[in-house]
Amino acid sequence: MNKWKKKQPAAIKSFKRPTLAGDGFGGRAGFFLSRAVNNIRQNIFVNVVTVGTITLALLIVSLFMLVFVNLESATESWSERVQVTVYFDKELTNPDQSAFREKISALSGVSRVSYVSRDEALKRFKIRLQGQEALLEGIRPEVLPTSFEIALKRSHRDTASVESFVTELKRIPGITEVQYGEEWVRRFNSFLNFMRLLGVLLGGFLVIAAIFIVSNTIKLTIYSRREELEVMALVGATRFFIKAPFLLEGLIQGFVGSVLSIILLFGLYEGFLQNAGSFLTFNPVSSGLSFLSLEYIAGLLLAGSMLGFLGSLTSLKRFINV
Amino acid sequence: MIQLHNVSLAYQQDASALNNIDLNIGKGEFVFLTGPSGAGKTSLLRLLYAALTPNRGQVLIDGQNITRISRSQIPLLRRSIGVVFQDFKLLQNRTVFENVAIALEVLGWGRADIGKKTMHILKQMGIESKYNLTTQRLSGGEQQRVALARALVNDPKILLADEPTGNLDDANKNQILNIFKDANIRGTTVVVATHDRRLIEQSHKRLVTLNKGEIVEQMEKETASGHQIL
Repeated sequence: MNKWKKKQPAAIKSFKRPTLAGDGFGGRAGFFLSRAVNNIRQNIFVNVVTVGTITLALLIVSLFMLVFVNLESATESWSERVQVTVYFDKELTNPDQSAFREKISALSGVSRVSYVSRDEALKRFKIRLQGQEALLEGIRPEVLPTSFEIALKRSHRDTASVESFVTELKRIPGITEVQYGEEWVRRFNSFLNFMRLLGVLLGGFLVIAAIFIVSNTIKLTIYSRREELEVMALVGATRFFIKAPFLLEGLIQGFVGSVLSIILLFGLYEGFLQNAGSFLTFNPVSSGLSFLSLEYIAGLLLAGSMLGFLGSLTSLKRFINV
Repeated sequence: MIQLHNVSLAYQQDASALNNIDLNIGKGEFVFLTGPSGAGKTSLLRLLYAALTPNRGQVLIDGQNITRISRSQIPLLRRSIGVVFQDFKLLQNRTVFENVAIALEVLGWGRADIGKKTMHILKQMGIESKYNLTTQRLSGGEQQRVALARALVNDPKILLADEPTGNLDDANKNQILNIFKDANIRGTTVVVATHDRRLIEQSHKRLVTLNKGEIVEQMEKETASGHQIL
């Protein structure tokens, strides 16, 4: 024993710790990133499965979003027809016109006020009755009423707002006859509400299903690598050190998955535009269909990345017991 | 270096794994832990690297009471302890080099230093030619040496080994034993759990025998007479 003991001091010196080359945040981030990329390369099958799941889940959600957004913009254009008309039985003089216009515009919710003179009214009437001009014989502009057509702002097109607007309108002296197609407004709004409710329910359901599927897939992939987590913990890795590459991996998976889903969605959309004419009665190209706006696409990318990141985060909690 | 005071451990209420263990292992000592299966050898080792906390008693490593340390301090403790597991716990889809280097990566070493140090230890273990093979393609003896390399690469103060010669032939056993001895000479405190009597007899080191969770015998082999220390 003594013979050996003499050697000790010299030997101990040799295990002095070298300076850290990858010190500081930059060095560490680079290390974690290269580690994450390596992990993806080494577990390529598992990663393909995860990215595929994320892609499909997001594709379903974004497909629904695309349909919903387009339906919304369609109903948007329909709701332009929510319009309040004030009738007068005489032609208004110019000062009268601007006085009324001013008073009406002062009410909240008004987006546009336009005056329809007798001549204008007759012109429209003629257009309505195209092909049956015989009916118009003998009709002169004087029998038609003049009117103000009032378009409402988007936020004021629901039933209650329209009704309260009409009450306000009737308080203006000189205005007696107001029409706004009560029944139509009511039906249209209840249809709109129903559709939105359906959209929120269905969309919510899809999103929850997507989160559930993705988080479970990630959980399984991390479960398949629990040994790695265990070994890292046993050789003295801190929790952050173990987690960071996995979280980056999740982030990358989520981002790649969302990019793929957007590409696929765009492919589907284009394919639909090319081919829909043959089995639909309308031409989709000219019907004002649009792809998701940039905001939605950015949102999808963010959602995908967060999905991967948070999925990894919650799954890791289970398997790291340092 | 390692002190256990009145340590008791029970996995379930009525089945105790360790009972009132008092053990003192000095710096630079080499100790064999023996006893039949289920005697508590593995449990004792797991206490030392804080994979388990005792129900009662204190465990001190290098003067630090590890039954009282916070979770975030456990990694720091483990960096000064090399562990060789019964089932090796190697990453099957990683290369030999990666398996060993991981112990230095967690310390935050630079790439170049990790490369040098890892190849150095692999050379010591005589497996440097296999550095680029995945561990699943190695023989049992080679895997054992990778596990040892990983445990020793950061020059730990303490080396713990659980049945390190379990499935090895005699030639391999001797080589492994020599590696332990070398580490011990360089100042590492070594604790080896085994029920391989021949290994113990060959090495002439302190022996602690456990049975049913209690220390039943302690002897210093070098005194040859089976003299009890405690």
